Amino acid sequence: MPTVALAHVSKTYDKKVAVNDLSLQIEPGTMFGLLGPNGAGKTSSIRMMIGMTVPDSGAVTLFSKPFERSSLARVGYLPEERGLYKKMKILDQLVLMAQLHGLDAKTGANRAQQWCERMQISEALPKKTDELSKGMQQKIQFISTVLHDPELVIMDEPFSGLDPVNTTLLQDTLLELKAAGRAILFSTHRMDQVEKLCDQICLIDHGTAVLAGSVRELKARYPRNHVVVEFAGSDAFLRDPMIETARNYSGHAEIKLKDGADAQVLLRQAAAEAKIYKFDLKEPSLEEIFIQTVGGRVDA
Amino acid sequence: MRNVWLIAKREYIERVRSKAFVITTVLVPLIVAGLIVIIIFSSNSEAAGKHIAITSNDAAFAQAVQARMTHGKKNSEMRVDVYAPATDADHAHLESEMNQKKIEGVLTLTVKPGVVQPTATYESHDAADFVTTGILEDAVDRATTERELAGRGMSAAEVDTLLKNVHIETLQSRNGKVEKSSAAGTFWTAYLMAFLLSFTSVMYGMNVGRSVIEEKTSRIFEVMLATVRPEEMMAGKLIGVGAVGMTQLLIWIVGAALLLASPMAVRAMSNGFTVPINGLEVFLFCVYFLLGYLFNSVLSAALAASVSTEQELNQFWPVNVIPIWISFGMISYIITNPNSWLSVAVSLFPPTAPIVMFLRMGARMPPAWQILASVLLLALSIFVMIWLASRIYRVGILMYGKRATLPEIVRWLRYS
Repeated sequence: MPTVALAHVSKTYDKKVAVNDLSLQIEPGTMFGLLGPNGAGKTSSIRMMIGMTVPDSGAVTLFSKPFERSSLARVGYLPEERGLYKKMKILDQLVLMAQLHGLDAKTGANRAQQWCERMQISEALPKKTDELSKGMQQKIQFISTVLHDPELVIMDEPFSGLDPVNTTLLQDTLLELKAAGRAILFSTHRMDQVEKLCDQICLIDHGTAVLAGSVRELKARYPRNHVVVEFAGSDAFLRDPMIETARNYSGHAEIKLKDGADAQVLLRQAAAEAKIYKFDLKEPSLEEIFIQTVGGRVDA
Repeated sequence: MRNVWLIAKREYIERVRSKAFVITTVLVPLIVAGLIVIIIFSSNSEAAGKHIAITSNDAAFAQAVQARMTHGKKNSEMRVDVYAPATDADHAHLESEMNQKKIEGVLTLTVKPGVVQPTATYESHDAADFVTTGILEDAVDRATTERELAGRGMSAAEVDTLLKNVHIETLQSRNGKVEKSSAAGTFWTAYLMAFLLSFTSVMYGMNVGRSVIEEKTSRIFEVMLATVRPEEMMAGKLIGVGAVGMTQLLIWIVGAALLLASPMAVRAMSNGFTVPINGLEVFLFCVYFLLGYLFNSVLSAALAASVSTEQELNQFWPVNVIPIWISFGMISYIITNPNSWLSVAVSLFPPTAPIVMFLRMGARMPPAWQILASVLLLALSIFVMIWLASRIYRVGILMYGKRATLPEIVRWLRYS
């Protein structure tokens, strides 16, 4: 049974349709990506899942039951903007969040210590929020989300503010949670993260689902006509007529071939004109699919 | 209820640990005490150090005025020189002294035969302050009266006895008992308690508003609302901040009690200045403080939920403060006419009820039914405010951007 399900859910604010007949479900032990341009309805959908707002029509099911407040003790929510008290000590905040989720203070404090060690941020515990960097605050925010061991973890832009090292740390942690049977939903613009981590995605635009399904199946719908070439020397081969679009980033070229073009011909052409280090033929990236589907209204 | 308690506890602990709490708890009484000391000190030495000259065509009259001006502890440090009869050279000399600020001013008295009242002018370098003018008028009046009575055959001792001030002993009848009272004490006690009521209920009400803004701007709401109901958040905040207010009030009351037991206060009260307050009034003070605080804080929470920044919240400041201005503006009227229809009406009107009812109690205990009615009306208005505020709060705390207009807020009231 899905951990959370939205069935034909709609929500309108004044005259603006925020969410229009949206249906999705998230199974335990899976990672679900909720994608869309700014203002698409991702946050509105998430808020309905956790009862912050009520849908105008449709149904929200949480843990196989219609939504009830008592179910929220089993949900962890990480909003897009950091929500921490600036002048409060980190340990005190984490203990408060644990208590609000039904744990006692001692258990909350112990788990806070353990999670901070796991996320390599133990030194932050006695400090106040405004003494920490953005990345450290984000890690603390994440810890407050999972401290009570929720079965459903919902995160809005969880990698925001994190450097590559901490991004990897967080990715590994999410994979561990997934392996432990948790259902994880995250909303993001980072397509590379989605491709790496998500089993299922839903792309929303103007409140409506325009693409949904597993990442593998979605990408398989598109032909393998994207090529990534790493080279040194002349870039003349990039002006070959078989190429529809090409972007060259100082020797790293991303190419889209025209329909019917043979990638092997391009390889021979490129090898004749430049020194080739990498020639990678694949289906379009999720970012390409995203851009094609929503018509280029994405903020990078 | 557990969530309400947790949120209230957080609000309370964070606030009492803060520097702002320590500073206001210690500083406000110190400032009030300092002001009282300054007022007492300045009233005791109003004329200290003043140097004045008297010129007159009547030496005896001038000396009598000089004696009155340096009479008594208050004025004993005044220096008064007499030039009588004053020559042109004396006038020129005094003009020069005045310009060099060696003297404050020159009082010129002209006595005409057959005319009771002398003509009097006071010339000074700075604009004459009302205290100095008052001392001069008292002295000239007294010397004139003494001269007239002496001229009709009274001795100096008889004149002194006749002109002595009559002291009226004030008594108050309470519950069939007659007790000593002090009009000044009544006024200042009522004023002080009204000041405390207004200052603390508005300050803590605005603190609730600021706390809502802090959580809104730092997006803490989004995290909290995933677990806690908006009504629980609001209730926890009201209780937590209110408890801080009560703590501070308790510290001040204990401090005031210790001050009243101090030797200085005992000496002041032995001069007839009393603090007319009893247990019932202290209890009602606490009731009105709580109700006034709740009224202001629920209003502030609703207003804060409809805006996004503290600057926008400050624009609503008159809403909290106007009832206080009205109450204080009427203080003299209420003390002297505690049972007039106007005083009764304003003491039943919820925004002004806490302060005005307490001012009435200071002058004359209102009928029990009026106190009960004002408490019930205030409580009812608080419930209505909570209903409105929780609806505005529930929707407004998730709205960011420009300040909500009144039609938008009305729409929020209809959202579930």
